[in-house]
Amino acid sequence: MSQLLEYLLTGAGIGAGFALVGSGLVVIYRVTRVVNFAQGAFAVIAAMLTSSLLASGLPHGAAELVAVAAAAATGLLVGVVAIGKPGTSPRAALIVTLGLGVFAYAVEVLIWGDQPRSFPGLAGAVEVAGARVPTHYLLVIGVTLPVFALLAVFFARTDLGKALSACASNRYAARVVGIDVTRMGLLSFALGGALGGLAGVLVTPVQQVTFDSDVTLIVNGFAAAVLGGLTRPAVTLAGGLLLGVAQTVIAGYGGGAYQLELALGLMLAAMVVQAARTPAQQEATL
Amino acid sequence: MNAARGLLRVDDLVVRYGAATALDGVSMSVEAAEMVALIGPNGAGKSTLVNTLSGIVRPASGTVHIGGRLAHVPEGREMFADLTVDDNLRLGGWRNGRRGRDTGHVYEVFPELAPLRRQRAGRLSGGQQQMVAVGRALMARPDVLAVDELSLGLAPMVVASLVRHLRELHRERGLAVLLIEQNARMALELCTRAYVLEAGRVVAEGPAADLAADSRVAAAYLGGPVEATR
Amino acid sequence: MRRHLLVAAAVAVVVALPPLLSSSHLAVFTLLGLAATVTVGLSLLMGYAGQVSLGQASFYAIGAYTAGLLSVHGVPTLVGLAAAPVAAALFATVVGVSLLRLRGHHLAFATLATQLILLSLLARGEWAGGAIGLQGIPRLSIGGYEFADDLGYAYLAWAALGLTVLLTANVMASRPGRGLRALATSEVAAAASGVPVGRYRLAVFALSAAFAGLAGGVYAFYLGYLAPGSFPILLSIEYVVMAVVGGLGTVWGAVAGATAIMLLVQLLTTIGTQPGMPSYAPSVLSYAVYAVVLVLVVLFLPRGIVPAAQDARARLLPRLASDRPKERPDGGPQGPGGRRHRRWPRSRAGLR
Repeated sequence: MSQLLEYLLTGAGIGAGFALVGSGLVVIYRVTRVVNFAQGAFAVIAAMLTSSLLASGLPHGAAELVAVAAAAATGLLVGVVAIGKPGTSPRAALIVTLGLGVFAYAVEVLIWGDQPRSFPGLAGAVEVAGARVPTHYLLVIGVTLPVFALLAVFFARTDLGKALSACASNRYAARVVGIDVTRMGLLSFALGGALGGLAGVLVTPVQQVTFDSDVTLIVNGFAAAVLGGLTRPAVTLAGGLLLGVAQTVIAGYGGGAYQLELALGLMLAAMVVQAARTPAQQEATL
Repeated sequence: MNAARGLLRVDDLVVRYGAATALDGVSMSVEAAEMVALIGPNGAGKSTLVNTLSGIVRPASGTVHIGGRLAHVPEGREMFADLTVDDNLRLGGWRNGRRGRDTGHVYEVFPELAPLRRQRAGRLSGGQQQMVAVGRALMARPDVLAVDELSLGLAPMVVASLVRHLRELHRERGLAVLLIEQNARMALELCTRAYVLEAGRVVAEGPAADLAADSRVAAAYLGGPVEATR
Repeated sequence: MRRHLLVAAAVAVVVALPPLLSSSHLAVFTLLGLAATVTVGLSLLMGYAGQVSLGQASFYAIGAYTAGLLSVHGVPTLVGLAAAPVAAALFATVVGVSLLRLRGHHLAFATLATQLILLSLLARGEWAGGAIGLQGIPRLSIGGYEFADDLGYAYLAWAALGLTVLLTANVMASRPGRGLRALATSEVAAAASGVPVGRYRLAVFALSAAFAGLAGGVYAFYLGYLAPGSFPILLSIEYVVMAVVGGLGTVWGAVAGATAIMLLVQLLTTIGTQPGMPSYAPSVLSYAVYAVVLVLVVLFLPRGIVPAAQDARARLLPRLASDRPKERPDGGPQGPGGRRHRRWPRSRAGLR
């Protein structure tokens, strides 16, 4: 029983990381209708930068903050290239983000080399009802939940958040009302970058990051986001947690390493089911 | 010709979409507290003109002068369907800055909307949505309201009610209205002056009564000659 | 007539070139032929069915492994080669039935996911040689003639390309081809005109898979061994770059794009393997360049090099379809009414 609880909590910790990556995707997609294939890069860049800053003497906390800020700036840069040029369709922007993701990959290897990196997180483990859970996982959960809550409040209660949602809901009407849709899009990219960076910074201490771990991160983040239709943060959180827990439980009891297939399979199934449910959902821009 | 600039004045406006010319040298004006109609067939460029006035479309040449604030009520209502009525209205005040987004005064104009404040705009009826659309435009405290196809898809009684609201706003606040309409009869009854737009050009303009009485306008847009009601 | 001359000239060049090339250049030439074959299919898929596939290398891999596995187990190599496109097309059909219901980015991601799953299964499957791969694939022999040297495979690769080009030309000229072109311009209009949209999309998907599978089959015999590591996601992205750069929906665009990218990559590899460069330099440079090229083309030459070149000057390159498949039209406004051009004398009622 305590073994199961251990898996649940650890899985939730991992899943929270997925949810954070997914939330970045959701924020960007909600506002711009662009699927950001460079999302994983934000996490990797933040993680790599953190390890470099820590190694050069910057204290914990400060290093992570700088890294997340850098990720936000990267997000903004991606946004500028992807949607800055007027008339870029979401499909074209998707391909652009794909290209930028590959470019980020190259930059990462160039700066940090191709060896895996990590850095220490919260040490030790905590006893919860008989289960031993590494403290760091609790940290991840402890950060993710408030972040999601903040996001929800931001979108629902603040004027800026409503304006962002408006861009997603009806781009034309947003322009009628005077909202600068492009600027909102860039803001969402920056926010998506920060969220991705946060994910990278939180997850790395428990999972080594390399330049191609962004594929795993983005796959799982995507899976979580897709479960929420790419627009609903709450479902993304739930989906991420579910994915993390499922993977951990199966790995723990089954002893296999089929996490990736599980994530992908779930995501594919979710997409197909969603597509079947809304056949008339014609994306005019895709 | 009065040299004063007036509230809204468009000179020789040319708007192109790629190779197609949507507006081909359009000139028109709206004075303060005037109600002006813009009628014409589908595809004549009426919506393009309004989009240019509200800054969404950039002209290829020509000038637009707006001496005051213009608010745009878009064709088809264009709600933020997932947001509440109140949020829709609040966003209408986006240009006003943080302090200018109080929605109270809109509910005074449209008391029918007050009980609907927290409803998702996508769930409202067409007439209710049209009220929200107008209310949203009013949030910007405009001097001139450009209303695109008010009557589209709405029942006559609903349209009549909306028209009453517009008349009230015009009377009580001196709000100028530019009414873009396919329903020429309604537009010519409501407004004092009118333009007829066809294929991107103004083909007729003048007092509404005169245009209504013009046999060619009547034949094309009114289904037959109309008694002047003024 | 001019088109036929140009085609003949191109064929002549392809036939004459290989014996003149050094062995490393010959390898590039062969791989180029294979890449172009895959890209033709992808270009069709992206240009006409409007689908972004980020997993086209899956079909390449399936074709390769099918041919390889069959031959390793004693099946005549020609049968193995023939089975490669069939297996790929079958896989595409089965997968496509559910996936093609997805739109745009969902499909893009689904194809990516499919490739990841496939690669993972291949790496794990002992029957496929696992992560180390499949060794000892025999040389291809057709009717007693054994393809024993690189020259033969070079011709074979380009013959495969020629076959796919011919097939594509025939398909596009036929009635289904017209339906496809209608599909490219507007799905809604096509459906309204009776074009079975879903079936056509699936057919194009399967056809593109078949092309990739054929290329994969040749690849298996050419290389003699296969490993999952030869078919990474980045390879799929490479194909996308080639297709987009060259021009979607145009056969020559696919070839041009593949050629341009391959040459660029070769150049970079040469630079990247200079003494003093770290070991990962070639791949880093390639990826950086793919990315930059892709982004620049999408933003500034959205229809690709070939259509852009055709726009810029008189038609020098032959085109396959006589109508250009348009990118999804973004709902441009109605042009001026153009119906009744009634001109009335302006009623000058004191306004002006």
